[in-house]
Amino acid sequence: MATVMAPAPSDASAAGHEPPPKPRPGIGRILAWAFMVLVIFASLFPFYWVLRTALSDNNALYAGSDSLLPVQFSWGGFERVFGLQTGQEAIDAGGSGQPFNFWRYLLNSVLVATMVTAGQVFFSSMAAYAFARLRWRYREQIFAVFLAGLMVPAIFTLLPNFVLIKELGLIDTVLGIALPTMLMTPFAVFFLRQFFLGISREVEEAAMVEGASKVRIFFRIILPMSAAPISTLSILTYITSWNEYFWPLMVSYTDKSRVLTVALGVFKSQKPQAGPDWAGLMAATLVAALPMLLLFFVFARRIVNSIGFSGIK
Amino acid sequence: MLRRILLSALLLTTTAACGTGGSGGANGTIEYWLWDSAQQPGYQKCADAFEKQNPGLRINISQYNWDDYWSKLTASFIAGTAPDVFTDHLTKFPQFVDLEVLRPLDDLGPTSDIKDSDYQAGLAELWKGKDGKRYGAPKDWDTIAMFYNADALKEAGIDPETLDELTWNPHDGGTFEKTIAHLTIDANGKRGDEPGFDKTKVKRYGLAANGAGGDNWGQTQWSAFTGSVGWQPTDKNPWGTRFNLDDPVLHETLEWYFGLAKKGYMASYEAIGGTNAITADKQIQAGIAAMGLDGSWTISSFTKLTDADGKKLNIGVAPTPIGPKGKRASMFNGLADSITTFSEQPENAAKWVKFLSSEECQNIIGQSGVVFPARPSGTELAIEYNKKERGLDVSAFTDHVKNGTTFPLPVTSNAADISALSKPAFDAVYIGDEPVSSLSKLNDQLNELFEVVG
Amino acid sequence: MATPTKLATTGTPKRPRDDTRLALLFILPALIGFLVFLLWPTLRGIYLSFTKFNLLTPARWTGLDNYVRMVEDPVFWNALGVTVYYVVVNIGIQTILALIIAVLMQRLTRKTWLRGLVLTPYLVSNVVAALIFLWILDYQLGIGNTVLELLGLDRIAFLADSAWVIPTVALINVWRHVGYTALLIFAGLQTIPATVYEAGRVDGASELRLFRSITLPLLRPITAVVLIISVVGSFQVFDTIAIATKGGPVNSSKVLQYYIYEAAFSRFQFGYASAMSVALLIVLTIITFLQYRLTRAGSSDLA
Repeated sequence: MATVMAPAPSDASAAGHEPPPKPRPGIGRILAWAFMVLVIFASLFPFYWVLRTALSDNNALYAGSDSLLPVQFSWGGFERVFGLQTGQEAIDAGGSGQPFNFWRYLLNSVLVATMVTAGQVFFSSMAAYAFARLRWRYREQIFAVFLAGLMVPAIFTLLPNFVLIKELGLIDTVLGIALPTMLMTPFAVFFLRQFFLGISREVEEAAMVEGASKVRIFFRIILPMSAAPISTLSILTYITSWNEYFWPLMVSYTDKSRVLTVALGVFKSQKPQAGPDWAGLMAATLVAALPMLLLFFVFARRIVNSIGFSGIK
Repeated sequence: MLRRILLSALLLTTTAACGTGGSGGANGTIEYWLWDSAQQPGYQKCADAFEKQNPGLRINISQYNWDDYWSKLTASFIAGTAPDVFTDHLTKFPQFVDLEVLRPLDDLGPTSDIKDSDYQAGLAELWKGKDGKRYGAPKDWDTIAMFYNADALKEAGIDPETLDELTWNPHDGGTFEKTIAHLTIDANGKRGDEPGFDKTKVKRYGLAANGAGGDNWGQTQWSAFTGSVGWQPTDKNPWGTRFNLDDPVLHETLEWYFGLAKKGYMASYEAIGGTNAITADKQIQAGIAAMGLDGSWTISSFTKLTDADGKKLNIGVAPTPIGPKGKRASMFNGLADSITTFSEQPENAAKWVKFLSSEECQNIIGQSGVVFPARPSGTELAIEYNKKERGLDVSAFTDHVKNGTTFPLPVTSNAADISALSKPAFDAVYIGDEPVSSLSKLNDQLNELFEVVG
Repeated sequence: MATPTKLATTGTPKRPRDDTRLALLFILPALIGFLVFLLWPTLRGIYLSFTKFNLLTPARWTGLDNYVRMVEDPVFWNALGVTVYYVVVNIGIQTILALIIAVLMQRLTRKTWLRGLVLTPYLVSNVVAALIFLWILDYQLGIGNTVLELLGLDRIAFLADSAWVIPTVALINVWRHVGYTALLIFAGLQTIPATVYEAGRVDGASELRLFRSITLPLLRPITAVVLIISVVGSFQVFDTIAIATKGGPVNSSKVLQYYIYEAAFSRFQFGYASAMSVALLIVLTIITFLQYRLTRAGSSDLA
């Protein structure tokens, strides 16, 4: 569902002719700022509410729903996430009492997201290079077929892929979760091909005159030149893969391969007609999103600046 | 690698989903699934005892929450990664029998001698398929009763004793409707039975709601009422093929029941949060309801409720009201353990199922006080646990069984289709989008299912 | 690997060369991924749409039965209508809001932190976003309704009222995606040369007028691309519905992909589910085709 566009060939060129913002104090500007503040508030308030719920006592939540601060401040939710409560304590607190093997799920999530990202970006960039720069028969036709893959509804492939993963003996393995998106996605190929098309041929031709092979050109020239779009794609792929829910839910059965998003299910309703452990669920939600938030803060500048265009030139 | 993938792709065309792969646990380890985490500690104790008696066998219990449990189970059948034994539900097992994924227990040594008479009357028979074979060994049972907030009653000047004698009828609702009307309070402090009551601004409803009940025959919603006028959902039970949703008696009863929401005495569809309804216990905790009908499996949730300061709420249990024919009624349901056809060690799995249904294990479960075990001795222990540990008299639930005022949950084929059609139809009636008479149309659709599929 | 190297060195850069062997090597991993995990399941799905298949016993050929049933199924048509309604509300609000945010970001400040904050919701998954809002918008206990009451308004059953449910779900997804879309448009704004604005200002045009007669027309091709691509994603809405409404109340939020999922996994009607997937595939194909046409039209406009 990611809707990113092909990136601008380089950030510098876009930044070159940006108009300097004209500070014009006035009612319009105040209104504009007010609107932006509202947008930021709307973006961030839910995160505060998650934190507030996570720090509340689960059994008291329903009785103190209108309090802006945590209801009966408690670390219980987080304790359940990190497995610091015994089963009975957790059940008494409105939790499920299930063992929650946080560090194992974190490791699995990191493994899956890393495998998917590394594989998908690398293999897709190879294919994208072949579609953008190599000359061969049926190139356009095959590319068109690849592109058509963008239209296949996700639900269509869910079951056949599941059966296939089973036939490969990869049920309940980290590789089984990663494999279907590890080799390519039509979007990644499309995204990188757009960028490669925009790279000037002169550099390549100069290298070729010096006797460099196409393989060498790809690894030594094209890939390094594409660091910006490749990192954008990598980060987006990482986020998408990290947040995947239904596919890992089907493939993983035990702690061996359970990822964080699926593990959140432990905090959902345990029986028909019963409420979830909201405090635990919100604590787990926060903890599950934390690695992404950290990644984001570290790379914020790069991520934010690298989302861009080239499609129109 | 490529070859292997292509080979498997080829394999798919021919063997797709036949479940040829290895499944269940490795030899000696029995994979067992359940959904209720509150019951897991009890069953872990059973597993420990079982392992001690059967050296070489190990039980591995996996728990998945109710929302994921059934899709996970379906997926496991397709992938051939199904557990050896799993906790089964009455509404689900006929479909599994049709899909040929359950093993008849009569064909396996250890479970071939399970006797109906060892369990609460009428319970074990429910788990026999159309072919007369047994597909589940009973583990527990449940009935319906009314939970109330004793403080809300006191404040309204209602003596909890009177709840034992409540009556209802579809015309004026009887003393039951009078009671919940009196327990209802609007934003101005007016009670539901006082002049000037504003039904659009209700602060606390007299009666909590558990949704429209379209996907479970109104089990914790209206089944206690329709049951007490003698209405049955199907022509016969189990394995009914004609439905009675066009019966005027049902329409009259539901008109009255859903009318409670229109009068403002019962929480409306919106008030409880629609499809993600908050449950009756949470409605009472949040102070938006004073009483609520619910199943015996919720006793532990109700007795754990606290107010905002962490103080335990004062919760009591009363029986379902007496109907126009002078009798109470409760749906009777239960869970059982089933063995899958994917198990590679069915005899070992049967040993475990036999143990689960034995007095020894069911007494352990009874002592953990979460559900009523299927065996009378286990039930007694659960009653005792509630009296000693929770100070709660649960006879409102057990009397139904003692007095024979139960009727079983309808067991039919095509349950998934029935539920997919019924849920929206009943929701529409509850919301008020459709009149009760629209259920006759649903009835035709349900009957048609059985004419086509046969 | 030696041969292509030779080929590359002997050929002169200007003459068309044939890189077939190298190209094959380069696309091989992606091709396997495509064939095995995308094309094959799709073909299999199309085949199954002509069968009765309960997932566990072998499929039985039934010809066009599933398609006939689909055409006669009011729930299917309702689902299609609900999906289109969702897409219109979701994409409409998201695009307009993103456009405003992008323009304001460009005019007010280019600081990274601002764009970072707006992008934050994108970091949580659809499932988590749905859970968070389920909690915030709860009729009784949600802070959203508490605020409404403080303002003297009536409570709204956001996710339990058939009139509100689709707009609410659409807004939940706007919350998650709008920052991302705004950044895309923001990047597009950067490509409009500053000189154009300066010329406008010299002529004494107001900010609003600059926006109307310069920003909007020049941004059109970008907006078109953003719009159409997000439409294809929007059509496949599923996670939020599955978590927040399960298709209810009644069928008012039963979008196509959720109805398909229900048919396949809770009703064991995989054949019928496949037929509906084929219908969705056709709808998406038409949309993608439109996208192609529109983006082309857009780029020629700018040139």
